[in-house]
Amino acid sequence: MSLTDRLRGVFVDALELPEGTDVENLNYRGIEQWDSLGHMTLVAAIEDEFDVQLDTEQVIDMSSFKVALDMLRGLGVDE
Amino acid sequence: MSLVAPTARLIDAASGAVLGGPDLAAEVDRHAAAYAGFPPGVVFARSGTSVPAVLRYAGAWRAGRPVALLDPGLDPAVLADFVGRFCPAVVVGLAEGGAGATPGELPKRYRAVDDPTLGPVWVREGACADQPHPDLAVLLATSGSTGDPRFVRLSRAAVESNAAAVARALAVGPDEVAPTSLPLYYSFGMSVLNSHLAAGATVLVVDGGVLAREFWQAVAAHGATSLAGVPYNYEMLHRIRWSPAKYPSLRTLTQAGGRLRDELVLAFHEKITALGGRFHVMWGCTEASPRMSTLPADALPERVGSVGPALDGGSFTVLGPDGAETDRPGVVGELVYRGPNVMMGYAENAADLARGDELGGVLRTGDLGHLDGDGFVWLRGRLKRFGKVFGVRVNLHDIEELARDHGPVAAVSGPDRVVLYAEQITDDDARALAGRLSERLRLHRSGFDVRTVERLPQLPSGKIDYRSLEALG
Repeated sequence: MSLTDRLRGVFVDALELPEGTDVENLNYRGIEQWDSLGHMTLVAAIEDEFDVQLDTEQVIDMSSFKVALDMLRGLGVDE
Repeated sequence: MSLVAPTARLIDAASGAVLGGPDLAAEVDRHAAAYAGFPPGVVFARSGTSVPAVLRYAGAWRAGRPVALLDPGLDPAVLADFVGRFCPAVVVGLAEGGAGATPGELPKRYRAVDDPTLGPVWVREGACADQPHPDLAVLLATSGSTGDPRFVRLSRAAVESNAAAVARALAVGPDEVAPTSLPLYYSFGMSVLNSHLAAGATVLVVDGGVLAREFWQAVAAHGATSLAGVPYNYEMLHRIRWSPAKYPSLRTLTQAGGRLRDELVLAFHEKITALGGRFHVMWGCTEASPRMSTLPADALPERVGSVGPALDGGSFTVLGPDGAETDRPGVVGELVYRGPNVMMGYAENAADLARGDELGGVLRTGDLGHLDGDGFVWLRGRLKRFGKVFGVRVNLHDIEELARDHGPVAAVSGPDRVVLYAEQITDDDARALAGRLSERLRLHRSGFDVRTVERLPQLPSGKIDYRSLEALG
């Protein structure tokens, strides 16, 4: 599975997104599910799925799906 | 005392615009004047975290109108119910709110007006028969709960005295810059706003909360000096290994809205004292406008677990097991607070808004605890069946009622969440039920932990054995 697909899956599961959600264009606080608590759940899920540890700045910077994707690439996660 | 002291400033983090001194006073006056054209009565203010929301609030205060600070995310049906029951003269802040927040349909007997100062509003056609009591200043919903929606009635004197007492306890002076880390319609958020404006300090109006990049950019750019949080904010900051060292202007961390683990109180205390700052644990409730006590920073680490002594002008006693009130150290019972900041009472409808003070400055807190020899409060949990989810009080009985269709259920209070035990519920149903509770109570679903049990434990009397459920952790 591609990195994008894996991350999409993590978003859907962690934020309990309804079917048909345009995951790739999501922004933090852009939808009800992605609030501060959703964010924490999401961070934990990303750390589990990709075996990475996000630092303070990365958690705070992760303001959209796209940013999360770029961040994982930057951390050297395989495409 | 005025709500907004002459040196007070508002900074809009999004634009960098600063509104202070005579300009702020003029803006508050302009907003106050805008209310003059409406029928007499209460203002409903849908209040997001924005400078216009602060000005609409401060303007209503200046105009002497009672103002209800409302969550802009309130379900339109709940807002409609509130409007129907409380008969506000005007609903302002219709454009407030984030993701998907909408006020809903124009209520009957109201007309939609685009006010040049206040923005889009709903104005009542004529005055309501029930007019609010002249002492009434602020109305806050007791919780986001739809099971028990009512207002706490706060007088002008109560709000003013509490703003001043908080400013004294925390040494808030004109140099302080407080970011809006909590919603304005939440009593703690309102308290941060009031205490800083009244002390002539700066309020940095920034939306997004402590996990948003914009928030920390604003803290750095505008030299924020303090941070206010409820336990889950500090839990999140701990989880992401946040350190105040990156923000040298931060000097004061405050915590209220429920019990933060001792371990984290000490961890944040150490971090901020290493930088020359201080950590304050505080205790309050909406019914006390809202602050009752503050733990002096130098009482840590020795007195970790205490919420400190009463604020200036307040005092505590304990209602002992024999029913007698005492201030004797060590006696465990319901804590009773006395002070000028105690609410006038609750309101279920417009007629209640006309009522005067019903408590005489005495508030039974519903919390169990004891006092020590210096009058410091040590809490031991709730007397009645309430839980706190992310700092918001929820009635456990109401939650059980909402979940009744799943058969026998029992709700107990966990750390910053409600644990609901349901007999033989499936995983799917448990997830759906947590989602439904989250929607109805407007609190994040991770605040509801629905678990299955074979049979709910019972006491010999046949009542549910809540103690043993609580012991399951």
